[in-house]
Amino acid sequence: MLAEHKIVHQKAIYQYLTTDNKGLVLESDDTFFANIQSQNIIALHPFFYSITNLLDTKKEEEFLFSCIHLDTDNKNIIADITLKTFAKENPLLIIQDLTTHYNNYQLTAQKRNESVINSQILELKNKYLIEKEEFKNTFIANFSHEIREPLSGISTFVDILKKTNLNTEQADYLNIIKTSSNHLKHMIEDILDISKIEVGKLNLLEESFNTTAFLEEIIFTYKVKAKEKGLDFNNNIEEKLPNFLLGDPYRLKQILSNLLDNAIKYTKKGSITLDVSLNQIRANKANIHFEIKDTGIGIEEENFENIFTSFSQINQNQQNKGTGLGLAIVKSLVELMHGNIAIQSDFNKGTSISFNLSFKLDGSSKKEKVKTISVEKKEKEKYNVLLVEHSEITQLSVLKILAAQKRFFLDIVSNPEDVIPTLKNQKIDIILMDINLPNKTGDTLAQEIRQLPEKELKKIPILALTGKLFPEDLKRYKKAKINDVIRKPFDEKSLLKTIHKYLK
Amino acid sequence: MSISKKIILLGHFGVGKSSLIRRFVEDTFTDNYKVTIGVHILKKEVNISKEETVSLIIWDLEGNDDITNTRPSYMLGTSGIIYVFDLSRPATYKQLENDINYIKTNYPNTPVKVVGNKKDLVTKDFLKENNDVFKPFVDFFTSAKANTKVNDLFSTLAKELIL
Ligand SMILES: Nc1nc2c(ncn2[C@@H]2O[C@H](COP(=O)(O)OP(=O)(O)OP(=O)(O)O)[C@@H](O)[C@H]2O)c(=O)[nH]1
Ligand SMILES: [Mg+2]
Repeated sequence: MLAEHKIVHQKAIYQYLTTDNKGLVLESDDTFFANIQSQNIIALHPFFYSITNLLDTKKEEEFLFSCIHLDTDNKNIIADITLKTFAKENPLLIIQDLTTHYNNYQLTAQKRNESVINSQILELKNKYLIEKEEFKNTFIANFSHEIREPLSGISTFVDILKKTNLNTEQADYLNIIKTSSNHLKHMIEDILDISKIEVGKLNLLEESFNTTAFLEEIIFTYKVKAKEKGLDFNNNIEEKLPNFLLGDPYRLKQILSNLLDNAIKYTKKGSITLDVSLNQIRANKANIHFEIKDTGIGIEEENFENIFTSFSQINQNQQNKGTGLGLAIVKSLVELMHGNIAIQSDFNKGTSISFNLSFKLDGSSKKEKVKTISVEKKEKEKYNVLLVEHSEITQLSVLKILAAQKRFFLDIVSNPEDVIPTLKNQKIDIILMDINLPNKTGDTLAQEIRQLPEKELKKIPILALTGKLFPEDLKRYKKAKINDVIRKPFDEKSLLKTIHKYLK
Repeated sequence: MSISKKIILLGHFGVGKSSLIRRFVEDTFTDNYKVTIGVHILKKEVNISKEETVSLIIWDLEGNDDITNTRPSYMLGTSGIIYVFDLSRPATYKQLENDINYIKTNYPNTPVKVVGNKKDLVTKDFLKENNDVFKPFVDFFTSAKANTKVNDLFSTLAKELIL
């Protein structure tokens, strides 16, 4: 009985054949290739071509060719083919059908290969996207720096022009120019900030600030702004807030200002509220809750996520102009300060945006430290200022500002090579140094000055005039012993304030 | 009867070995990827000149990201080698120099053609930027999909085989 079962179920999976040393078939069964006696194996399938030169070895050898696809008379199979050669006998070929086994393997290989390839392609796409993003951010950062220079020129000369004799109409026009260029300046600052944040180049300061004074200034500003739009401004500031905190007051102010500006922008009537309260003090850190509420147009829930992404403006209408980056900056800054921003909004009823931030307590400053920089006269009557600057706009701006003071002699050099000779020929009290000079950077030049043998020359205060304020730039300036940095675009106040710090 | 020559195609999986052969033998192409396991063997007559033809016995091997794992029995009796990589996937040419050195050391007298395939997926700029990587090794930039240089590749190799 068993034998009969075997006949039914046992599939023939082998074909055996012997050939002569030229490949002519001597004996064979018919499992796959039938009736092949006295044919050459080359005719069976191109596979056999490549073994014909092995048939004539006259040695005892064995070759295994695994996983060969063969189209045979009966069916297509995947087989292992063994060739045995002998010293005295004719070669033997054994074809073993392993189709099922190899088909399973094919499925596994298919899955494995596809998933490897997909992950490689995904990785490439990511790499490409990251590169593109980096390129975009670097481009924006550089581009914004470039824009600052001409903008700074516009700003300065508007201020200068204001002081000339203008009729009312002209003064009005000038105000419009001033407002527009301020607006442009703010937008560029926004773009620059977001690109800095995105390339991870925005560093936070840690300095002491007076909590009350800080908040009062903001409240004052926004009371005025709200009033201008016919809105009420409420504030609830908790009394127990610590007097002094350590953190970055400029960025905190930027966060609150952006949110308050936004609240005012999107509120037609009603009120704006600023709440600041203390959550807790723990481990010498105060956790403070900030909340800005408005009664404005509100945001639909599906847009909550969107409003914090770069370049999005839900309400794209003409009056609400701006870069749309304000909230993206807020979110990034809050996160940079290890906070989390939360939003609640009822469409057409109002919005509330809140976040908690931790600040270290500043125990050292019991009293308010007042740093006053007097812009008033110092002992000396006239000072010699050397301006090393390539851009004519900046040259003119500085010239106009300093000339109006009537206390400065200004020397202008646009070629860095001329600086050291000028220092040797003339008594200079202070150097204003552009960083982006032709052929040489301002910081290299500063280093050269610091290495001069003449004591009085190498100690002259050097103030950099630049828009390049990334942390690595500042490091370079410090290394070059540059005393201070005047940020471009500068206005009259910031230029004079810094210069006065270094007058003897 | 024309002479027969065995050639094999080597390279990582999915680089387009089977597709190049399919384009050359049948002049067709499919975007579907069917992984080759083991080896498929095909035959194609190539006219070298008016009188001469060569029968190429083309071995389409299973892709492998480590060339040293190639089954040695497959290599027996090989007259020519085509090494294929995928221009759109750096992982397939990261080891290009090593792989080619391996081939040249182990099969010293066998003509080798090095092929960057899927040219349709990359830009001219990309090829220019990576000139240093490809130039020293690559003989053909092909596309099985767009039918670029596929015939050139096989007939150039075929001619070298009968010299
Ligand atoms: N765009 C494009 N795709 C190609 C080209 N050549 C092959 N492909 C695609 O790439 C995938 C892999 O092609 P195959 O020819 O199977 O690759 P292979 O080298 O034989 O792969 P293995 O057998 O696994 O080693 C398939 O989806 C093809 O359609 C080409 O020139 N251009
Ligand atoms: Mg294949």
